[in-house]
Amino acid sequence: MSDTSPACFCLPNHPPSFATVSPILKPVFFALAGILCLASDATAQISASPAAMDAAVKTLQTYCYDCHTGKEAEGGVRVDFLSKPDSLEDNIEVVEKILRVLAEQQMPPADAEQIAGADRVALSTWIEARLQDFDCGSVSRPGRVTMRRLNRTEYDNTIRDLTGLDLRLANDFPSDDVGNGFDNIGDVLTLPPILMEKYLASAQAVAEAVMANPQASSRVFPFAPGNPDDLSEALDVAQKNVGAFASRAFRRPVAPSELARLTELMRSAWEAGASKAESLQAAVTVILTSPHFIYRVEDDQASESIDGIRELNDYELASRLSYFLWSSMPDERLLQLAGAGELHTSQQLVAEARRMLADPKSQSLIDNFIGQWLQLRDLETLSPDPKQFPEFDQELRVSMRRETELLFRNILDENRSIIDLLNADYSFINQRLADHYGVEGIVGDEFQRVNLKGKRSGVLMHASVLLITSNPTRTSPVKRGKWVLENLLGEPPPPPPPNVPELNATGETLGTLRQQMEQHRADPNCAVCHTKMDALGFGLENFDVVGKWREVDGRDKIDPSGSLPGNRQFGSPVDLVQILAEDKKQEFCRCMTRKMLTYALGRGLGVQDRCTVNAIVSQMSEKNYQAATLVEAIVTSSPFTTQETGR
Amino acid sequence: MSKFLSSNLSRRTVLRGLGVSLALPWLEATSGLARASAVVADAPTRMAFIFVPNGVHLSQWTPNTEGYGFKLPFILEPLASVQDDILVVSGLTHDKGRANGDGPGDHARSASVFLTGAQPRKTDGENIRSGISVDQAAAKLIGHKTRFSSLELGTDPGRNAGGCDSGYSCAYSSNISWSSESTPVGKEVNPRLVFERLFAGGTTQDVDRGQQQRIGLQKSVLDYIAEDAKQLQKKLGRNDNRKIEEYLAGVREVERRVGLGVASRPLDVDGDYPVPDGIPKDYREHIRLMCDMMVLAFQTDSTRVSTMMFANAGDNKNYRAIGVPDGHHDLSHHREDPVKLEKISKINRFHVEQLSYLLGKMKSIREGERTLLDNSMICYGSAISDGNRHNNENLPIILAGSGGGTISTGRHVRYSTETPMCNLFMSMLDRMGAEVPFIGDSTGRLPKLSI
Repeated sequence: MSDTSPACFCLPNHPPSFATVSPILKPVFFALAGILCLASDATAQISASPAAMDAAVKTLQTYCYDCHTGKEAEGGVRVDFLSKPDSLEDNIEVVEKILRVLAEQQMPPADAEQIAGADRVALSTWIEARLQDFDCGSVSRPGRVTMRRLNRTEYDNTIRDLTGLDLRLANDFPSDDVGNGFDNIGDVLTLPPILMEKYLASAQAVAEAVMANPQASSRVFPFAPGNPDDLSEALDVAQKNVGAFASRAFRRPVAPSELARLTELMRSAWEAGASKAESLQAAVTVILTSPHFIYRVEDDQASESIDGIRELNDYELASRLSYFLWSSMPDERLLQLAGAGELHTSQQLVAEARRMLADPKSQSLIDNFIGQWLQLRDLETLSPDPKQFPEFDQELRVSMRRETELLFRNILDENRSIIDLLNADYSFINQRLADHYGVEGIVGDEFQRVNLKGKRSGVLMHASVLLITSNPTRTSPVKRGKWVLENLLGEPPPPPPPNVPELNATGETLGTLRQQMEQHRADPNCAVCHTKMDALGFGLENFDVVGKWREVDGRDKIDPSGSLPGNRQFGSPVDLVQILAEDKKQEFCRCMTRKMLTYALGRGLGVQDRCTVNAIVSQMSEKNYQAATLVEAIVTSSPFTTQETGR
Repeated sequence: MSKFLSSNLSRRTVLRGLGVSLALPWLEATSGLARASAVVADAPTRMAFIFVPNGVHLSQWTPNTEGYGFKLPFILEPLASVQDDILVVSGLTHDKGRANGDGPGDHARSASVFLTGAQPRKTDGENIRSGISVDQAAAKLIGHKTRFSSLELGTDPGRNAGGCDSGYSCAYSSNISWSSESTPVGKEVNPRLVFERLFAGGTTQDVDRGQQQRIGLQKSVLDYIAEDAKQLQKKLGRNDNRKIEEYLAGVREVERRVGLGVASRPLDVDGDYPVPDGIPKDYREHIRLMCDMMVLAFQTDSTRVSTMMFANAGDNKNYRAIGVPDGHHDLSHHREDPVKLEKISKINRFHVEQLSYLLGKMKSIREGERTLLDNSMICYGSAISDGNRHNNENLPIILAGSGGGTISTGRHVRYSTETPMCNLFMSMLDRMGAEVPFIGDSTGRLPKLSI
């Protein structure tokens, strides 16, 4: 009965008509991404104009200078450097901080005079525009990924690929915490003691299962002694077997010293009265609980670093590729290429990425990346009110998720434009969904490609996304609008400013939700974000909580019309999405790039990553936004192939 | 080493057949019930903390009068049968749950501050930071006395996609226990797994000829991986080293348990526990099973410290079973709408009913002349006061059990506003024999707990 809201958290004192439906989820760096996206190329030029500079400097002087100039600056944060025409490079960390507190409405403090909404946006946009001129060449910093523990999915997949046994033992592990929107973030994947217990128990269970299954046993231990009675040969073979297994489990060749210790462990177990099988089990247990297995170790000393930056070695690259695209360990071919030192060229990385995407194991990318980016995983726990939506059941739930996954699968397989996610006029549905959508002629459980031209286009009209962005008993236009801004356009709206007065303090009647929202937008501070957010959400009101088409909501006829910034008018959901696909290509591409790069790296993006993102986006636009280009650009990018050392 | 910490199905079957037969280790030194009076003196004090999200409808929570003999308000009515065993505590504050310059994110903060009293660092990924929580502070000092230094329970796993609250990593919203300022302690939500963890391979039934050999092997496994970690540590940078610290802490905890060997001398206790099959569909049933697990752990002295999240911070699940189809968080922004407030009161009362179940169960278990409840301190509440205002003062808190006769229960006490919640924690830690110089933003002990 869990209905976890995708993101519905509120400020105190914020008008609850807005607050209850206003998800104010805003990962710090996505906030940055958001402002990044405000400054599309066209606005960048406008914003960098002298007039924009004058306005921005005036805003800074009026609202910030009192506290943030000179040696005595509050918190040691000076902002006066912004008014000089110099490059922002030397102050890049501070710039990042300034953008963040502006976006989060943390500055000016609540008890000080507030910057009007439009001026606030103009200031951020201007700073962003200046960052566009940032010299990427001189500050190529690839960042550093904190050592990642295998998450539950990766653990299960890795055990599966190591042993050939699909044991799914991680179902019993505590859930992995999510950071930056994903559950594979090194900094957030902690290891509480209970998990160590689970690792030990699980390693033991794997060891037992392997010994009990001849097929798995010969996969894990490929060598057999010629003469089983020859004790010294048996020991040699055991050592070779354990060495081979450890190398695969550690995803790199096992070191001689490690092999010696493993041999010693088996010998002492044997001497303590353990059987041969038990001794081998002990070795398997320590290998599968070793930090070299549990964590994806990238050892600073493994290769030489120049100016604090190290190129990852071929084995490390093999793991980066395999955990990105397969959520699992490298296969034999990747390890062979790594062993031959042939993996690290851009050409080879691209070739391997292509091969891996064509492999069925790339379903993991869809399950885990798409499942988290578009929050399809939330579908499992959502339960729309059964009184209002009696047709909703497990079959429909599963079908909804499958539709969205299949669209992405198709885009990958046919190397289509990622913009199709926004406005594909085709989809993949089975009979259950066809009935739900009112599409005729689809029979059976198999998903079929259908043309939905004029009826539905892109993921915004998938029942999955429409349900994820609704409350159990009603749709939420603000939640939907916010979801689009956050997850598709990378423009997460900032939280509401502090001290917005209560809307209904006098207890007056406020009319329909749409009327209430219009009243809300009369306040220019609210209008900055709500104009866009609400237009998007109300434009999708023809779809109910479970994504079914409707003409009326209760007694009220639905008015799906509206306008987006730039006086772009729309009269239907399909129009709305078409405008997004035409006007917001770059923003969507940048947003998806940031999400996928975050997922691929296992860390949140920082200001140093903007050059990488910019480069990928421009590559994409040259290649008609083809999906494969995105993956290929990521696996050859410097944050993916190099690492800052010693932090 | 065939049963190294692994789940033990045959053991479960045995338990089901025989009724639960479990050890009460502090009886170890005595020889039988004839010396029951000695037991009383030796029965340990336990403590637990229960978190509920989204604040409460305070006017239906707070009793009108202070001291003894207060009338139970609507939300607290289910506690009638244990009214003499509880202290309703008003006026406490979690200042570090406030924004204090960090902007929105009250829900994430409300969970991470609940037991730490520390301002969480606002980050979605990099460098998560809170503080050591009161339960873990106790676990560090007295945890070595029991097989599990602490037990972390809940009903909902953490969110597995997207974000949780306003730029705070989901780690802050779905955990209340923190063993170090950077390590939230994950919780167990499956009652079957808790049961197996507590009782698989841990009682005399499992002792056989191979036991010593198995323990020997377990020790060499642990030695081996600890050595691996230490060697690796030398090569790594600062953040990576923190990861290895967590790893080693885990190894040490398991090592300690292996060192303790098995609990000896089982004693038959009331076998009124179903061996859980997994996570029940019904939420009420789920909470109650987790409560059962906590009681079992306390009763068998498997641990003396536990935490439980009835739901994660900002939780928006519906309560259809009690006639509330709306999302809890959605409702908590009630705008003083009486219809919404009534629904919130119903949810609050539902949670209190489950607390009442737990307390009733603990009260039914005799430990000499006292009960398990007498020998415990159960701190229940929310770190947000009113869900609409998101305020962190005058928190709704109940302290149940008399901490071994050191707390005068049956009263409603009110402290002056802004009294740190952490002062209550200090008083509780004293009673656990786990004294620390401070916890979070504590400024001292809480007066008036006993009269």
